[in-house]
Amino acid sequence: MNRRSSPSPRGAHTHRAGASGRFRGWLRHHRAICQDSAWRLLRTPVASLVTMLAIAIAMVLPAGLWLTLDSARLLDAELTESATLTAYLAPGVEEGEAARIEEALGAQPGVAHTRLITAAEGMAEFQQALGLENALARLDDNPLPASVVVTPKAPAPEAVRDLAEALDAVPGVDEVRLDLAWIERLRSLAELGRRVTLALAVLFGGGVLLVVGNTIRLAVESRRKEIEVITLIGATHGFVRRPFLYSGAWYGLGGGLLAWALLTLGGGWLAAPVSALAESYGASFSLPRLGAGGSAILVGCSILLGWLGAWIAVSRHLAEVKPR
Amino acid sequence: MIVFEHVGKRYGGRFEALANLDFRVRRGEMLFLTGHSGAGKSSLLRLVMRLERPTRGRILVAGHDIDRLHPSQVPFYRRQVGVVFQDHQLLYDRSIFHNVALPLTIQGVEPRESARRVRGALDKVGLLHREKALPIELSGGEQQRVGIARAVVNKPALLLADEPTGNLDPQLSADIMALFEDFNRIGTTVMIASHDLALIARLQHRTLRLREGRLVGDLEAA
Repeated sequence: MNRRSSPSPRGAHTHRAGASGRFRGWLRHHRAICQDSAWRLLRTPVASLVTMLAIAIAMVLPAGLWLTLDSARLLDAELTESATLTAYLAPGVEEGEAARIEEALGAQPGVAHTRLITAAEGMAEFQQALGLENALARLDDNPLPASVVVTPKAPAPEAVRDLAEALDAVPGVDEVRLDLAWIERLRSLAELGRRVTLALAVLFGGGVLLVVGNTIRLAVESRRKEIEVITLIGATHGFVRRPFLYSGAWYGLGGGLLAWALLTLGGGWLAAPVSALAESYGASFSLPRLGAGGSAILVGCSILLGWLGAWIAVSRHLAEVKPR
Repeated sequence: MIVFEHVGKRYGGRFEALANLDFRVRRGEMLFLTGHSGAGKSSLLRLVMRLERPTRGRILVAGHDIDRLHPSQVPFYRRQVGVVFQDHQLLYDRSIFHNVALPLTIQGVEPRESARRVRGALDKVGLLHREKALPIELSGGEQQRVGIARAVVNKPALLLADEPTGNLDPQLSADIMALFEDFNRIGTTVMIASHDLALIARLQHRTLRLREGRLVGDLEAA
């Protein structure tokens, strides 16, 4: 009801600029404020650095966890890819018979590849893997059955389970084992990790908002007089808010870059033991890197959080700072 | 230019700062607002600046009911009103030049145009040679002149001043008042709150007298 289109009495001079002139003025003002707020940060380098470090530390933990999960996801895909079934043949099956059964298994739909492991080969592998040559040499008979390792065409768990049932029905096959349980366990673990990371990201994001908010609150306090004066002479809320929003964004940028540096350093520090560990398991696994996209997301989120924290802090205090 | 219709202002529901004010100020007029401290001079000016809103009646400025301005329009209204404060309200970490340029900066005036107008305003108050100084390096009278330059740099149609000569000696006070008369002569409506009765008497302008929030005298210029 109170909103009229233009009830403010405007003098002729405000119309002189024109729309493009006003836009240029607006751009010029943004540039000036952007530079000025950067200078203000640089004038108190230690305090600024402490704030940025606090932001960086809050960003590093969720970002690091996310990276780790991302690599676990890659590993999961690789493992699923290499998931195989083992069909154990009935004990006492001759080698010629075993080759025939292998052929029958290979003819099943959904089977990509088969490999026969005779009882003797199985024994040799077992001995080599366990280093139990002496103990096993004492056995009179070879207790191991021959087996066929089957690689499925589709690695999806359901398809593999169906295939296992089909293979089990092939005559001469004693038992089909599929090692999916631990892949599923790994998946549940990854899902748990994903949720924990998300919760941590939300918590630490809130932490960044608080850190920036508190810093900006102090800045507003120290510039209270200036805010009062410019409000008296006709500054809009947007104008008052702007320098603080830029400060918040600068803090976010600094914090984001520091977080990036910490992640890179930490990655380098952990790289050697991680690949040694992976090698001992016969896997080639290296710590993932952020890459250009990830780095941009990290720094972008940090800037956004800084800006948002500043916005909340200034808006809360704009209401309090009233000209006398 | 300014119309007060049965305007009243209460604080906290009890204390009546202003009661039933009814008067008009013509465009291009210069007038004084007098009364003891606490008589309501500052409250009246704060109403015109729309720092506060009346609890009764309405105030028209240039034909618009300023109580009905949307909060987002208030800054644009304030830009049209030049205000000189008793305590100057300067920013002490900025040069004289930047202080005077502040209203233009807020409006995004192009820097060259802004510099031209700032120097014009400083020249008018006789402080062009001090543009690089900080406010603290200036005397009280000079600081007040900086405040005036800032109030007029935007060429407002209405100029308000709250005790502009409060702490100044008689000679400086007369100089400041002469400045206001100069601005009035080029068409600016000027309204000055002051308790310096001797000075007001010499200047021969319309005078509104307030006592305990009521208008008790409206003397037209002789």
